[in-house]
Amino acid sequence: MPDKNTALVQGTLDMLILKTLALEPMHAHGIGLRIEQISKGVFQVNPGSLFPAFKRLERAGWLDSEWRATENNRRAKYYVLTASGRKQLKSETRDWKTQSVAIARILEA
Amino acid sequence: MNVFRHLTGGLKELVRRDKTESELSEELNAYLQNAADAKVQAGATPEEALRSARLELGGMETVKHEVRAVGWEFAIEVFVQDARYGIRMLRKSPLFTAVAVTAIAIGIGANTAMFSLIDAILLRPLPYPEPQRLIVVGTQQRGRSEMDLMGTADFLAWRDHQQSFEQVAVLDRAGRSFALSGMGAPERIPGVGVSANFFSMFGVAPLKGRGFQPGEDRPGAPGVVVVSEQFWRDHLGSDPAVLNRTLTLDGKLRTIVGVMPAGFRFPSRRPVDVWAIRTLNPPAARPPYGLVGLGRLKPGVSVRKAAAELNDIAAQVAAQYPSSPDLVGVMMPMKEWMVSDVSTALLLLLGAIALVLLIAVVNVANLLLARATVRQREVAVRLALGASRKRVVRQLLTESSVLSLLGGVIGLLLAYLAVRAFLAFGPGQMPRLEEVGINSGVLLFTFVVCVGSGILFGLAPALETSRPSLSDPLKDTNRSSSSASAYRTHRALLVFEVALALIVMIGSGLLVRSFVRLSDVNPGIQTDHVITAAISLPNKYAGPPQITQFWQQFLEKVQTLPGVKAASITMSLPPNLLAITNPFTVEGQGYDRNHSLQLAEEMTVSPGYFRSLGIPLMKGRFFSPSDKVESDKDPMIVIVNQTMAKQYFGDKDPIGRRIQTGDPDPSFPWETIVGVVGDVKYSGLDSGPGPTLYVPYNENGWVMWAREMYLVVRSSGSAPGIVPAIRTQLASMDSTIPLAQIRTMDELLDESLVQQRFRTWLVSGFAALAMILSAIGIYALISYSVSQRTREIGVRIALGAQRSNVLGLVLREGLQVLAFGLLLGLVGALSATRIMRSLLYSTSATDALSFIATSFTLIAVALLACYIPARRATKVDPMVALRYE
Repeated sequence: MPDKNTALVQGTLDMLILKTLALEPMHAHGIGLRIEQISKGVFQVNPGSLFPAFKRLERAGWLDSEWRATENNRRAKYYVLTASGRKQLKSETRDWKTQSVAIARILEA
Repeated sequence: MNVFRHLTGGLKELVRRDKTESELSEELNAYLQNAADAKVQAGATPEEALRSARLELGGMETVKHEVRAVGWEFAIEVFVQDARYGIRMLRKSPLFTAVAVTAIAIGIGANTAMFSLIDAILLRPLPYPEPQRLIVVGTQQRGRSEMDLMGTADFLAWRDHQQSFEQVAVLDRAGRSFALSGMGAPERIPGVGVSANFFSMFGVAPLKGRGFQPGEDRPGAPGVVVVSEQFWRDHLGSDPAVLNRTLTLDGKLRTIVGVMPAGFRFPSRRPVDVWAIRTLNPPAARPPYGLVGLGRLKPGVSVRKAAAELNDIAAQVAAQYPSSPDLVGVMMPMKEWMVSDVSTALLLLLGAIALVLLIAVVNVANLLLARATVRQREVAVRLALGASRKRVVRQLLTESSVLSLLGGVIGLLLAYLAVRAFLAFGPGQMPRLEEVGINSGVLLFTFVVCVGSGILFGLAPALETSRPSLSDPLKDTNRSSSSASAYRTHRALLVFEVALALIVMIGSGLLVRSFVRLSDVNPGIQTDHVITAAISLPNKYAGPPQITQFWQQFLEKVQTLPGVKAASITMSLPPNLLAITNPFTVEGQGYDRNHSLQLAEEMTVSPGYFRSLGIPLMKGRFFSPSDKVESDKDPMIVIVNQTMAKQYFGDKDPIGRRIQTGDPDPSFPWETIVGVVGDVKYSGLDSGPGPTLYVPYNENGWVMWAREMYLVVRSSGSAPGIVPAIRTQLASMDSTIPLAQIRTMDELLDESLVQQRFRTWLVSGFAALAMILSAIGIYALISYSVSQRTREIGVRIALGAQRSNVLGLVLREGLQVLAFGLLLGLVGALSATRIMRSLLYSTSATDALSFIATSFTLIAVALLACYIPARRATKVDPMVALRYE
């Protein structure tokens, strides 16, 4: 269980998954690992939230999936960003930037 | 968001449950492997790696559950699961299920049936293209509220000068049937006269042939008719070559040009078999008023604008006929015109039956509450094992929904039967009955009511059962705390139930009282041994001599039949078959144009009319066969009723005084009063007293009205028994004339009350149901309470309490509930019955007797319901009760 410091800001997991997949298709464990690494361990993603998020994003049409062999020669389900997922990522990123700038301003005021 | 994708995605998963499940397991396993691989790479042993990966993942099943819960289909899965469990629980207690389902089925069935009526009659738009543009037009005396008919002058002026309507048409309200001859025995068939663009205004295409064409209503055009699908089937054997066949109607040859489809029925109160062209000749005077104007508004034109235009036109007409009364034009949407008089009664019935359903719902809620005590242990186990209260409530509500849906399905069946029965045996003469049926709108209503009542009766017990007190129910010995709160809820619900029952009962009490008063109204005649029938003479009886001669000969023949005491003819019949009203002025009592003219019921009769109906003579004399009235040189004579004599002549003798009828006009002839007779009801038993005028049927100026008359025969023996003899006499004079609408006077009185009787019976039925349901509710409550208190009662008896003390103890509980319920019910009824005011005849909506009598009935029944279980309490054997511990 992630403690307070490693918990994700509410509602951002979907955006982080989309961003992670923007580079290349990945499997569940890879995605979790990547988020943890890039955030330098600030965020730890719980599988219990990761898998429902995949289903949510797939349902929304932002992700596709296919079974492939991993680098260790095991089978895993790889998630791929779709065109509409790319669009969604763009707009979420834009929104996030506007909001975070605004929040930062408020906090510094 | 792509709703479609969500929908299909969910459906796919529902269909391919196993595949998605195994894929999810596989993916989670792959995740474990990958995580473990990563840890091995970081230096852990394979066993350690797998273990810590498992820990990270948390419970495999929990993750799966959370993934499943993402889609909407999950809610359905849970519902199905809960419903299955619910059905299992219901099957375990069949008696409870049967009682609850029956109560719900009756409640929902009756509501569905009533709603299907309201849906067809009040809610659905009329079955014509763009029905909101269809308008009905009439006239109104300034200062009155009801809409009257139009005269020819008004209609023609409106037709020719209006700009607001695409099309205007006319319906003749005066003639409602035609004599059909030349096809077997002569008979009267229902039909109306309409103008040429009647059908094109509605925009309904004929089944065969065509509607009328412009110009076919010009004077002198060949007579054409359109027939109904039913007439085509029943009378013409669905002849495919029906077009251009001829019918003999009222003695004239008419060509059939079209057949209307079965769904088209206008006017819609009773069947219409024939629509015939009504020719409009330019009128000599503004009255008589016998037409209904119909119109289709141009798109975008408001009723208000069209009405303003109509009023300008009516003012011009009034200027043309300066002596006519001050009439203004009025219009209303066609649907309102068709249904406004039945809407209050229908809404009242729906209101009453909705209350009955609520009572049934409360009863089921109480049943569930009683069961709640049984279920408490099961629920406590669930809560203890970690189920959330929300989840438990949801499961219990699903169970009650299953119960109500089951009741709903059976209720739907009952509703179907009830609607069929209503159409077969209910009062006809309601508008739009042909549209009544159980359709998708009605099904939706039933479904919503089902789920709604399921939640309603499930909610209190579900909240009660899932009350989070973990230890008590599991211990079993202590059953005081939770069952005490259940009992409080139980009692509160019952107070509510008694109140609802009282409201319905008071409503029915008021209707019954009003109906009894109405049935007791004296129609002003001796109703026994009287037979009546409608006879109308075809056009070949062209002038006054032929008409008078026919009636004289015919009445002579009937009078000499054995068993006939008196025979006569009349234009109108009591209690509600009035043909016309006419304005009148009394000599020397000047006419003030600013006040609406007094209208009198006026009818022509033959001399024997008063004797054949037993109408008493108060002053002067009856008409006599020797009265000379046939030429315009003869003095005109009139008989008035008592109310008229009193209103206009007070204490003075009205005999010999003179009046004028029709529009006030100095050049009109004066009519001399020769007699005063008792009041007779012609506008319904509920109508107030008003002036009535009788004139001889053969009087100059009136005789042409005497083609359509009612025969009235008083006999010494059975009235229907002489019908065959009358028919033979009629056939011997003219075999093309039918003897129609044969009724005894008692039947006519009965028929005039059919709507009131029907709604009184129906609401009384609902009230009885409400009373029984609430009595069962009280019975159940007291029984339950007695069973809970067996031990206490046993102790009391063992300590020396008398049986009467115990009886009082138990009864007091019931009385408390009853008292609160009655109080609440009386307050509710005071406001609820106000909406019934327009349905009550000389009965106040707060009629004290109805309120008191129904309250006492309910008290008596409720006391009985209390007494039975209370008596059982006094029989408690203290030894048994104590051993029970």
